[in-house]
Amino acid sequence: MVHQHFMLVPEFTARENIALATMGNTRGVLHPDELSRTAQTWAKKLGWELPLDTKAGRMPVGVQQRIEILKVLALDSQVLILDEPTAVLSPAEIADLFRVLRQLAGEGRTVILIAHKLSEVLSVADRVVVLRQGRKVAEAAAADVDAAQLETWMVGGRDPLQLAESHGGGEVVLEATAVTVLGDRGSVAVDGIGLECHAGEVFGIGGVDGNGQLELAEALAGVRPVSEGQVRRPDKTGFVPQDRRGDGLALDLSVQENLAVGMMDDHGLRFGPFMVPARLRASAQNLVSEFSIKVADVRDRVGGLSGGNQQKVVVSRVLNQNPELLVVMNPTRGLDVRATDFVHSVIKHAAANGAAVVLFTTDLDELDLLSDRKTYMSGGTFTQTMGGATV
Amino acid sequence: MRFVLSSIGMVLILALTFAAFGLDVGKSLALVAQGAFDPAYGWPTTLTRATPLCLTALGVAVAWRAGTYNIGGEGQYLVGALAAAACAAGLGGASPALWAPVLLLGGVAGGAAWASLATWAWLKRGVQLVVSTILLNFIAVELVAFTVRGPLQEPTHARPMTAALPNSAMLLQLVRGTSLHTGVFVALVAVVAVWVFVAYTRQGLVLRIVGANPRLARTERLPVSKSQFLAMAISGGLCGLAGAVEFSGVTGRLSDGFSQNWGFLAIPVALLGGLEPLWVGVSALYFGALFAGTENLTRYTPIGNTVVPVVQATAVLAFLGLGKLMQRIRRPVEEPA
Repeated sequence: MVHQHFMLVPEFTARENIALATMGNTRGVLHPDELSRTAQTWAKKLGWELPLDTKAGRMPVGVQQRIEILKVLALDSQVLILDEPTAVLSPAEIADLFRVLRQLAGEGRTVILIAHKLSEVLSVADRVVVLRQGRKVAEAAAADVDAAQLETWMVGGRDPLQLAESHGGGEVVLEATAVTVLGDRGSVAVDGIGLECHAGEVFGIGGVDGNGQLELAEALAGVRPVSEGQVRRPDKTGFVPQDRRGDGLALDLSVQENLAVGMMDDHGLRFGPFMVPARLRASAQNLVSEFSIKVADVRDRVGGLSGGNQQKVVVSRVLNQNPELLVVMNPTRGLDVRATDFVHSVIKHAAANGAAVVLFTTDLDELDLLSDRKTYMSGGTFTQTMGGATV
Repeated sequence: MRFVLSSIGMVLILALTFAAFGLDVGKSLALVAQGAFDPAYGWPTTLTRATPLCLTALGVAVAWRAGTYNIGGEGQYLVGALAAAACAAGLGGASPALWAPVLLLGGVAGGAAWASLATWAWLKRGVQLVVSTILLNFIAVELVAFTVRGPLQEPTHARPMTAALPNSAMLLQLVRGTSLHTGVFVALVAVVAVWVFVAYTRQGLVLRIVGANPRLARTERLPVSKSQFLAMAISGGLCGLAGAVEFSGVTGRLSDGFSQNWGFLAIPVALLGGLEPLWVGVSALYFGALFAGTENLTRYTPIGNTVVPVVQATAVLAFLGLGKLMQRIRRPVEEPA
C-alpha cells in the first residue's frame, strides 16, 4: 500500500526508511545495506537514481514517493495499492510513475490505482471501477469508456451543473474578486477565483478534497490571507472549519470554555475586562439545550464528547454570534444521520434568516440538498464538472 | 487528598534518603519538620523561601497556560533584581515611602523586558522560546556579574556587590529574628490577581485558548501572537518582581551569588500546582517548607551542604512522581486523542 500521505520518517535516510519496512525480525542487529538491497535492485530495474543516504524529509515529494513504492516492492508484494499518488506530482513525474506502474503490471503484478483525475485514470488503467458512497456503481474496461461516461457514473445521473442566477435577490454580502490564495507550502492553491454570495442564499462548492477548497474557505472567512485579489466580507463572519478537532475546538478545555470563545464580546457577559462566570455558564447552558448537545455538565471536557456533539458545539458557537456570512466546510463529515439532519436544518435556518452561506462539501447529496447555487472546484478554480476533466 | 497522600509518600522517600546517607532517620526528620514548621522561626523561614518561589512559579504558570514555554524565569528573576538595584542607585535621597513601589515596579519592568526579548526573537525570527529563554539566563548571570563589578559596584570597589539598601528602604521585617518580610503579601496578592486574571477575564480566556489550541484561536481570528507576547511579558514581569522582592526584602544587595535558582525551581513548583494559580501558591508553600527544613538539617548535622540539594531533588522528584501516580489512580482510563 502506498498511502496518499507518505509513511516515511523524515529524519531517516532513504536506506533507513526502506530498512524499517523490511526489517522483520532482526535479532537486535540491523544491516540497513542488506535490508535495502532488494529495493536497490528494483530501483535500477525501474531506472531510478536513488539518493540513499539523504534524509527523506529533504527529498522532493516525487522522490519520496519512489521510496514508498520501493518499500512495497522490497517486500515482493504482488498487489500494489496506490492512494491518490498523483496528487503531489508534476506532469513529468506522473508520466514516469505511470510508466513504472505499466512495467510492474506487465510483470504480472496487480496495481490498484485510486485517483480522481479522469484523464489520468483513462491513460493508465486497464479496467475502471467507480465507487460512490461506499458502493460500486460501475465497472468497465478503460478502452470502452470516456471521461464523460465516468463523470456521469461518478455524480450519479445528476443534471449537468449550471451556475444558476437564482440567488433570491438578496444584497451581496460576500464579494471575492480574482482571489489567489497560497497553500501551506507556498504553492498557489486558489487561482484567481471570483464569487458573490447574497443574503439568504446557500452557495455550494463541491469537488474532490484538496483542490483548494480549504484555502478558499479560510480566505473567505478571513483566517488565511489572500495573496492577490480582494475579499469583501462583513465583520460578522462565522466559520465552521472542516477539521473540528484541530481547528474548531480546544479539546482539553471545557464545553463552556469552547462556547465562550464566541461570547467574549457579548455585552451582557462582560464587566470591563472581566467575564461574569454565572452569566457565561447560563449562556453556555442555553446553547447546550437549544442545540441539544449531549453533555452532563458544561464544565466537562469537550474532547470527551461524541463527534456529532463536538460539531454541535462548533456550530452553535458560530451561529450564536448571528453571522451575516457563514462559511461552512464539510459540516457533516463523520456524523451520524440524526446529527447530519440537525446540522443541515441549522444551515438552512441560518440562510432563511438572511445569512449568506458558502458551503464547501465533498458530499454531492449534501451539495444538492442545501445549495441554491452551486459549482465545483478543481485545481484551484471553479469548474462545471466534478472530476475536473475536460469533457 | 492528593497532597496528603503525596506528603506521606514523600516523607517515606525522605526517610530512605537519610538512611542512604547513614543519618539517624528519626532525628533528621524531626530537624526538617522543626526547620519548616517551628512557630518561632520555622514558619517564617518557610514563608520567606516560598515568596520568590511563588512569584516565579506564577510567572511560569501564566506563560505555560498560553503555550509559551518560558524556562527563562531565572534570567528574568536576575534582571528584575538588577533593575531594582539600578532603581535604588538612581533614587538617592528620595523619600523612603517611594522606594519600595519604585523598586518593585522596576523589577517587573526588567523581568518583562527580558522575557520580551525572547518573545520578540520567536515571533519575528522563529527562535524557539525554550532555547532563547534558557540562553538569556546565562546572559543575565553575566550581566549581573558585570554590573556588580562595574556600574553598580559598592563605593569602596573592594567586593563584587552593590551597596546595601538603606534599612529604611527595605521591605518591613515581620517576625523578629527571621527574614520574613512584607514581600510575602506581594506574593499573596499576586496569587489572587493571577487567578482572577486567568480564570475570569476576557484576556485570560484568550490566553487559555491560545495555549490549549492555537489553531482554534486562528479560526476564531483571535490575536495569537499578541496574546503570546502578553503572556510572556506577564510571566517575565512576575519573575522580575520576585527578584526585586528578594532584593529589597532579604538580601538588600546584589552580588554574584544572588540567585538561589528560584527561577529554575519555579518550573517544578508550577507543574506541581498543575499551572493553577491557587494551587501554585500551595505548591510554593510546600517547596518553601522543604527548603526551610533541609536548611535546618544542615545546621545541626554533619551532613554538609552538598547533601542538601540531593535531599531536595529527591523530595521534588518523589512528590512529582507521586502526584502523577495519584492522577493515574483517579483517572485510570485516559483515551489517547
